[in-house]
Amino acid sequence: MAFNFATHMDYEGQHLAEKLSHIIVVVFGVIGWIIGYINQQFSQTILVLGVGVLIAAIVTLPPWPMYRRKPLNWRKPRKEVTVDNTSKPEKEVVASVSKPKKKNK
Amino acid sequence: MHTFLTRGNALLTFTLSVLAGLTFFCFLSTALNAYSATANIDTVKVLVKNVPDYSAQKEKQDLGYLMFDLQADLNPLFNWNAKQLFVFLIAEYETTDNKLNQVVLWDKIIQRGENANLDMKNMNTNYYFWDDGNGLRGNPNVTLTLSWNVVPNAGTLSIVRGSGSHSFSFPNEYTNVRAQ
Repeated sequence: MAFNFATHMDYEGQHLAEKLSHIIVVVFGVIGWIIGYINQQFSQTILVLGVGVLIAAIVTLPPWPMYRRKPLNWRKPRKEVTVDNTSKPEKEVVASVSKPKKKNK
Repeated sequence: MHTFLTRGNALLTFTLSVLAGLTFFCFLSTALNAYSATANIDTVKVLVKNVPDYSAQKEKQDLGYLMFDLQADLNPLFNWNAKQLFVFLIAEYETTDNKLNQVVLWDKIIQRGENANLDMKNMNTNYYFWDDGNGLRGNPNVTLTLSWNVVPNAGTLSIVRGSGSHSFSFPNEYTNVRAQ
């Protein structure tokens, strides 16, 4: 498949992306506030903030490789699921149900 | 934060919070502004008539008529938290019935970027100067002052009375209506 590329970030990547977007937006907001105060034009504050949002969107919205460095190592699925696991869970369930009743009485 | 859309959602909502904070600090930066200015007001011509105000009642009432000069530089009032000024001219006087009468005679909206240096000669009033009785003829002390609202981006709508006033008296005789 030509479009079969992964779109998710790993957990640390998500944390980094959120932190980066917050930093970028706040820094541009503060800069914009100062520029607006100097020029006495609040519209310039909003424009600068908008530029910051665009940059934050480019930096943090797509799943860049920098957010995918620590993928979770999932355990590989077992192949002999069918035979062994059918009988054992039933016994465990019965045991677990009966024990608490004895303790309470 | 695990998909493109949730990240976009988080970014936009955070941006709106930041914008609200910036607006609040913009308000704080102008909260202590006094918005004071001086207005020079003068009357050119003052008449008083005794005519019925048909919009209220058929009995005759005093109707003042005046032309005025006004000079006031309101440019310093504008800052980044002032969108427009609503400027109005108030006449205040005392009658036997009322301790304080206030009549708005003229007003003007000055938006940001427009010329706020007012210099007007021989202006007519925008609104009728009706008294609610016969308190205008011979009234010795009618005071004109200029006030303004400052309409902000964020914050309170302040009402400021400019320094500078002009007092005049109405003539003791009614002007004939037909003579104007």
